[in-house]
Amino acid sequence: MLILHQIEPYHWAVAGFAIGAITLLLLWVTNQRLGISTGFEDLCGLVIKAPYFRRGEIARSHGWRLPFLGGLVLGGFLSAATSGGWAPFWDLGMFDTLIGWGPAGKLVWMFCGGLLIGLGTRMAGGCTSGHGIFGISNLERASLESMASFMAAGIVTSNLVYRLGGI
Amino acid sequence: MNALIYVAFGTVFGWVLSRGGAADYDYIQGMFLFTNFQLYGIIGTAVLVTAPGLWLLKRRGRTAFGAALTVKPKPRHPGNVVGGVLFGVGWSITGMCPGPILVNVGEGKLYALGALAGALVGAALFGVLYERFPARLRLPALQVGTGDG
Repeated sequence: MLILHQIEPYHWAVAGFAIGAITLLLLWVTNQRLGISTGFEDLCGLVIKAPYFRRGEIARSHGWRLPFLGGLVLGGFLSAATSGGWAPFWDLGMFDTLIGWGPAGKLVWMFCGGLLIGLGTRMAGGCTSGHGIFGISNLERASLESMASFMAAGIVTSNLVYRLGGI
Repeated sequence: MNALIYVAFGTVFGWVLSRGGAADYDYIQGMFLFTNFQLYGIIGTAVLVTAPGLWLLKRRGRTAFGAALTVKPKPRHPGNVVGGVLFGVGWSITGMCPGPILVNVGEGKLYALGALAGALVGAALFGVLYERFPARLRLPALQVGTGDG
């Protein structure tokens, strides 16, 4: 059951097949390699003039990454709007049950995690989409090593938080 | 290519991440705690579909409009593992990877705004500090970047 309106999610095979199909269509139709985290650099590049955000790849990819990121937000909005109506909320599933911090605590917790996501994905050169799905499907060693690192660190962290009572 | 087609791709992708559980805190914890198979099934199926399709597309070598297909592999460097570990910790803390941060914002989950702000500050720090990271990370030249994805 999803936190969003307590609806049942799609079967994993349906969701997985759809993600694979989108990845292939994006390449076949638009010649773009699926990847999301570079879009954060595109957003940074809109306001920060550091040389890293002025490199060619960023300038070239604004035209597709920014609308793609906008689409992700829109997809989430439509999913909520059609499954019980869109309304802002703070529900965070097992975090509420077992940790139970209020809105301010959640924002700080999420900001800290977000920092690691922004820094880590860009240092690794990709995230779950660019490395985990596209890169692994393309048998790239950098992607196998990156995805193994994502998973190992996530497994250790969640177990520290929820099994060993780290918090 | 018209920007609208990318909005459409993003919207469908965001919808599937939302309805599949990939943008759900509990399903991400269930993956990392080995109590829920959903995300393993999704990622595994996606790779099983993408890998042979990609092989065929590369063999054909053309896009739907006849242009030369370009698939640029990502550079390999120690940042893959070091950055990968940092991201893995963040993925567990927030229950979100980069796509789902945006999907969760769209769904109306207010705490996701904290994750989005953090991710943008993290990416900004990375770009600003790029030339100051220790040499042993052997990050590619600034003009190349660490890999785009």
